[in-house]
Parts: sequence; C-alpha cells; structure tokens
Amino acid sequence: MSKKEIRAKAKVLAKDFGYLQYMIERYLALWGEEETLQFLEACENPIRSSIRVNTLKVTNDLVTERLREKSVVIEKIPWLDSGFFADFEGSSPGALLEHMLGFYYVQGVPSMTAVSVLDPQPGETVLDLAAAPGGKTTHIGQMMQNMGMVIAVEQDRIRMASLKSNIIRCGVTNSLVVRGDARKLGNLGYEADRILLDAPCSGEGLIPLDPTRKTSKTMADVRYCATREDEMLDAAVNVLSEGGTLVYSTCSIAPEENEYVVDDILKRYPEMEVVEIPIDFGVPGYSEPYGIRLNQSLRHARRFLPHLHGTEGFFICKMRKREGESS
Amino acid sequence: MTLSLVDPVEWTSVIEQIDVEFGEGVTKSLLGNRVPVKLKRGRDETFFLIPTEWMSHATEEEGERLDIQFIGKELGSIAKGRFRLSLHVLDELKDLTDRTILVSRHAAEAFTYGRSILKESVLELNPELKRGQRVLVINENNECLGIASLSLDANRLRRLGKEKLVAKNLVDVGWFIRRLG
Repeated sequence: MSKKEIRAKAKVLAKDFGYLQYMIERYLALWGEEETLQFLEACENPIRSSIRVNTLKVTNDLVTERLREKSVVIEKIPWLDSGFFADFEGSSPGALLEHMLGFYYVQGVPSMTAVSVLDPQPGETVLDLAAAPGGKTTHIGQMMQNMGMVIAVEQDRIRMASLKSNIIRCGVTNSLVVRGDARKLGNLGYEADRILLDAPCSGEGLIPLDPTRKTSKTMADVRYCATREDEMLDAAVNVLSEGGTLVYSTCSIAPEENEYVVDDILKRYPEMEVVEIPIDFGVPGYSEPYGIRLNQSLRHARRFLPHLHGTEGFFICKMRKREGESS
Repeated sequence: MTLSLVDPVEWTSVIEQIDVEFGEGVTKSLLGNRVPVKLKRGRDETFFLIPTEWMSHATEEEGERLDIQFIGKELGSIAKGRFRLSLHVLDELKDLTDRTILVSRHAAEAFTYGRSILKESVLELNPELKRGQRVLVINENNECLGIASLSLDANRLRRLGKEKLVAKNLVDVGWFIRRLG
C-alpha cells in the first residue's frame, strides 16, 4: 500500500474501531491490511485469565485440585512449569482463600513467560527493575527457591506497598526491596548475574484489557517511553556481570519501544548479544519493522500478539553480556 | 529509612515478647541462622531476619546509599510498645507453637474477612490458655489464617453460649486483599 492508501484506510478503521489514526497507520505499515484487521478484532475480545502456582508454598496438583473444587476451570500453559489458564467463572480470583494464603498469583501469561526466559537460579544475584506490584519478583524468588538474592527496584511509593505485600503473601524471603530510579543503578553497588527489565511502557499491548489505550497515547508519548526505556536498559547493561543474562520486556507492541531500543543498545555495547530463547512461544521479533533494517539477531526475540496468541501484546528479548569484552 | 543491626537489649525484649506468646525457644527457631536487623522510619520500627552474608547492608554508609524498604524475612514491628508479628512468619510459626485455635470451615472464611471467632466455630482449643493469649488461627486443612487474641480463659469455653466471642481477630491473611483491593 502507498502512504496515501495507508492513510485513507487507517482513517476508516480508526473510526470503525475507535482508535487514533496514527496507530492504525503504523499497524498497516507493519502488518498489512488483513493482519491489522485480525489484530483489531482480537483486541475487542477479553483475554483469558491465568495464574502462577506458588511452588514456594504448595504444589501444582494441590492448587489445581482445590480450585477445581471451587468450580474454577484450569488448563496448563504448555511452556510454563507452574502457569495455568484459570477461568474463575465470574468470581474474583483475589478473593479466594488460596489466593490469600499465597498459593497462587494472578498473572498474565507473557509476564510469567518473561521470568521463565530469565531463568533465575538459586544462589544468584538477580535484579528486578520497576518491580511493583511484585508478580515477577515473587516468581523470581520462587524459581530461586528463596536462595540467593533478588533485588527489587521500584520508584513509586504507592506501588511499593503492593510489592511488599505480595512478597509477604507469597513467602519470598530472599528479596531486598529498594526504592529508587532504575536509570541510576550505579548507586546500587551490585553486579547482577541476571536482570529483568520489564520496562514501564506505553502499554500498547494492553488494548484488550484497557480499551481506553486506543486513544490515550500519542506518538509523542510512545517516543517519550522509548527514551526512558533506552535509559533504563543502558543502566541495566552497566550493572550486568560479564557472562550475565538480561531480559528486556514490555507490554507494548510498538517496535519503537522494543526492537529499536534493543538495536540501539547492541550498537552502543558490542559485548551485548541477543540470544535464542529456548522456550517455544509467540512469534519472532521484527528485524525489519517498517522496512528499516535492524540487527538481524532481533529475530531471536519473541512477541505475543492478541490475534495470534489470545494474550495481551508483549515483547521479550533475552541478551547476554559476552565475557572479556566490556569496554 | 535506615537499616541497622538490632542491639542485644532490644532483641532480648523482642524474644521475650514472642516467646511469652508462642512458647519458649520459638524466636530462636524463627531466627535460624539469620541475623535480626531493623528498619526505622520515624518512630516506627520493623524487624527483619536476614542471612549473615547480607549484614553489610546494615551500616550507616549503606543506609545513605540505598533506600531499603524491605529485606529478607519480616519478623514484625513494634507498635505502641508491643511487638506485632508479621504475616510473613506465620507458616513457620504454625509448626513451632501449640498456641493455636482450630476453627470450622465457615468461621475460617469469616475470619479472613476480618471477623472474630465465636464459640460455635471452635473445634479445638488448649484449655490451659488464658484470656489475652495470642493464638494462631488454624483451619481444618492445617493452614494458618492469622492471629487472634483470646477474650476468655480457654477452660471456660464449655460454659459459653454458642454465639459468644472467643477470640478477637488481630490480623488475618485477608489483609492482603482488603489493603490492596
């Protein structure tokens, strides 16, 4: 499609589906008309709710058995050890006793997947940046079996309360929670074996969960987020130990906040490389979005998309810092 | 907030308060091979148990460098001069103490919504426990739901009407949802 055709088509679709026009123009340029329509239609449907069983406290079997007794429909997520789709049939997932006891955490499939990709190990030092409300921190603590240290960094005072509360509820005892700006990690004085940066983003992947996102953010907002994400990722690279693993993720589908950000980091830090994710989910990251050629290794990153996977939109990229090459 | 080691006099006072409520040696078992530290914010003090190799965080310089909000295992806090146990240690404490009250399924659910415990809901209570005693509230699956304070001597339980108050809810696991919505 020519630019003129894209604009004309976008204008119609934006009106039909209630989006800002610039968003549809980008989708059409990225995916073409047919896939854009599939995406827009998928975003009108609700996302399946899901839970992570907290194996620090209980087994998968115990939780699934008890939830089934309470008429919750449970289905295992194939690539996640303790992840389940859970249909609570109208009841509140947070109000059940099993939730209060910390037996499970209500968490999106992509968020659980990001921690599985990070693959934290017992005894390591792991950084979780922009950590509230604590879904990923508690998942990291769970995978580390409470051994080693997970350092959770959060700047927002109000969100800090939910982070601490979830750590207590889930029985995580190897966390250090620090209030601070994830762009100033040098002050921490740590070198981490693994870092998870699930960056605050424009949330363009959350449209199925929050329809107001169709009109709430401009392209300037996306650019602002991309700049902040770049700063946070840059800071993370600087505190990652040699040979260490960094997972960068966002709940945005915008290449400007994902592949572009990683591409810039790869240019600035030759010791960083994108590595393959040994879990089968999603579709490959874009190495040539909008016809702009980026680092080809970005195909190793993975994307969740509402029209292909029935989840919120999400981007996950796993990187490694090569040993002996830090500048 | 500043993280510091707990001085021995203060720690002795904490041990006394927990052990008096839940049995001698309980605090030592909760401590294990960890070290007690405290975070001070204004007049509030929260106590945590951390691995010995994390002790370097409890220095003045470290306090100036890092704004630590939470560390390791939260033991409890001091409010109005009295030590209050954190929900973080209840699972462990359950296996260390016999100061418990076993309640029916219906009462267990009500307790997690902040309700107190009535006579008709009590399935088991050690008759030697006295009024004011802190007890862990346990359901029929042996899960700890929170802490309550006995409102009578336990040996008077039999003589009580079925709708009379037995234990007042002090803290329960429903706090998570009530606090955060």
